[in-house]
Amino acid sequence: MAATYDFIIIGSGTSGGVLAHNLQKSGAKCLLIEAGKYFKKETFPKNEADASTQLYWGGGLEFNESATMAFLRTRAVGGTSIVNQCLMNRFDDIAFRDWKTQSEVGFFNEKDMSSYYEKVEKALVLHTFDKSEFNNNAKKFTAGCDKLGYKWDYLQRGQSDCALDKGNDCIGCLGGCRRDSKQSTMVAFIQKAEKIGLEILTEFTVDSVENKTDSVLVKGEKAGQKQVLTAKKIILAGGSFGSTGILLRSGFKDRLPALGKYFSSHPQFMSFGIYDEYIDSHKGAFQSVASKDPSFRQKGFKLENVFASPISIGMLFNSVGKRHQELMRQYRNMACIEVAVRDEPSGEIFLNKKGKVVVRKELTTRDRSRRDQGLEVIQNIFSNSGAKEVVHSPYYFGLHLMGGCVIGSNAQTSVVDPDFKVHGMDNIYISDSSIYPNAPGINPSLTIMALSQKLSEQLTR
Amino acid sequence: MSKILSKSALIAVNRIGDIIIPHSNEFPSFSEAGGIEHIDDIMSYTPPGDVKDLNMVLSILAYCPGFVLNILVKQMLSSNKKTGPLSPILRQLDIGLRGIVFTCYYSGKTGSSYKGKNPLDIIGYKITRLED
Ligand SMILES: Cc1cc2nc3c(=O)[nH]c(=O)nc-3n(C[C@H](O)[C@H](O)[C@H](O)COP(=O)(O)OP(=O)(O)OC[C@H]3O[C@@H](n4cnc5c(N)ncnc54)[C@H](O)[C@@H]3O)c2cc1C
Repeated sequence: MAATYDFIIIGSGTSGGVLAHNLQKSGAKCLLIEAGKYFKKETFPKNEADASTQLYWGGGLEFNESATMAFLRTRAVGGTSIVNQCLMNRFDDIAFRDWKTQSEVGFFNEKDMSSYYEKVEKALVLHTFDKSEFNNNAKKFTAGCDKLGYKWDYLQRGQSDCALDKGNDCIGCLGGCRRDSKQSTMVAFIQKAEKIGLEILTEFTVDSVENKTDSVLVKGEKAGQKQVLTAKKIILAGGSFGSTGILLRSGFKDRLPALGKYFSSHPQFMSFGIYDEYIDSHKGAFQSVASKDPSFRQKGFKLENVFASPISIGMLFNSVGKRHQELMRQYRNMACIEVAVRDEPSGEIFLNKKGKVVVRKELTTRDRSRRDQGLEVIQNIFSNSGAKEVVHSPYYFGLHLMGGCVIGSNAQTSVVDPDFKVHGMDNIYISDSSIYPNAPGINPSLTIMALSQKLSEQLTR
Repeated sequence: MSKILSKSALIAVNRIGDIIIPHSNEFPSFSEAGGIEHIDDIMSYTPPGDVKDLNMVLSILAYCPGFVLNILVKQMLSSNKKTGPLSPILRQLDIGLRGIVFTCYYSGKTGSSYKGKNPLDIIGYKITRLED
């Protein structure tokens, strides 16, 4: 079968958006495939309930095998960049050093990666917060940190005009930004690529791929109809679960022993400080600061100043009846800090008998120790900023899904080679979060974009 | 009426919902608020296999006496500390059932015959989303 496209990109998220844009711009004939719908700023779901059921895989949440940890990932054009907080950080020396140790990939260092970071940063509108934009949640966090001598820093976020000064509340953009201010890949890359002819196939779920000598077959389904598409080269950009699932369903596990291994997720644990006065953490800039204490980085955790809408807050408390109502009555009095753990890549992704992706991932002793150190700091921050009660949620979740198709030079311990090519397959590439060798302990998106920038330059050279 | 959940499944959700959110001075109970009328909006994206399992479990729960449901809710809540063979199922039930109940209750939508204050107004949740 003659290839119809030069490139098919499977998955339109943080990685796929950058790739589709760059490859289309180079003059190649590209198709971007996405399992989800194409929502635009006018059509994003209008409330928390609709957003979580319509935008997320699994109708809201997915779980690990033992149902102790929940995972969130998006199914829509723009992928998880549609719902994420769009906090953008380059990796530091520690993250790259640990990647290089595991993968033996030479370009994992700040210097070699800097030109790719620069190019994606230039394509985005980035904003660094300042004190004038703090909501009360951020004020409590920084006051507690200052009192205890912990370092914190202003966050850098992809946003063009959030109209905070006009009273806009950014918590709503967890269900998609209604202003096209948040720099999702839909806004920053895909819509631009569409204007220069990018073809997008939505609501098409890829089941498997088949590698031929000079082409690749992509097999999938749209509205119950099976279809096969062909391209000279394909790039998997389905994220950790998506890309790994496709390769597993394609029967590549025998050839790629590391397929599905080294999954990590930066498990996040949320704690609430309850104050006498209104905090209104749901108002204004949703997240503007995070911890920046070198000792936390060394210990393997970071703190972020976050919050959530009422349904999620209700879920996070392990209570019903009167206690639930007592807590929800104080919704406006709550500040919130989460500890995100730099976890060990001990998870594994595999298929069950029905061909469904299953994730085996438990906290290790080291992960729990890191969590506990973070929770102790949070307790102190709240106590030192006037909280009358502190509630630690027993539930935790992974928002940064990483690994499963990790990059490396050794085909026994990795899935893609340092040129992003699946070992032994000349026409199949990956540069999304599934190639992360281990958890960086830093927001992953900017680096996913930088790696996808590197791959697109390599493919169009 | 729901096209997704059976009649007995709806009865079970209302009964469990009232244990999770009973009537109090300020709050209407789960069934009083009537958010369950909008259950199909919430569940239309749930994978068909999960809907089938849920309908089956809820249809059984609909006929359990109240004290059994109370015990179940307690077990669900403590399941995250447990490790036995039943604990993953209880954890999934916990997230699934509380998920449905809180999503219906705090969605901003109430039942057609409910005349009281919206739960979101009671907790003071109001956000402004400016479009350009
Ligand atoms: C609530 C939330 C907040 C976050 N905040 C931040 C943040 O502030 N900063 C940060 O750096 N990171 C953040 N993250 C994480 C970040 O968004 C992800 O790590 C990143 O988007 C992953 O990029 P990706 O390209 O690997 O996958 P995704 O962006 O998830 O894209 C994968 C796409 O592939 C599609 N797909 C999957 N399988 C198939 C298939 N079989 N067929 C067709 N299509 C398929 C999916 O529907 C999806 O659209 C957050 C995540 C969440 C959930």
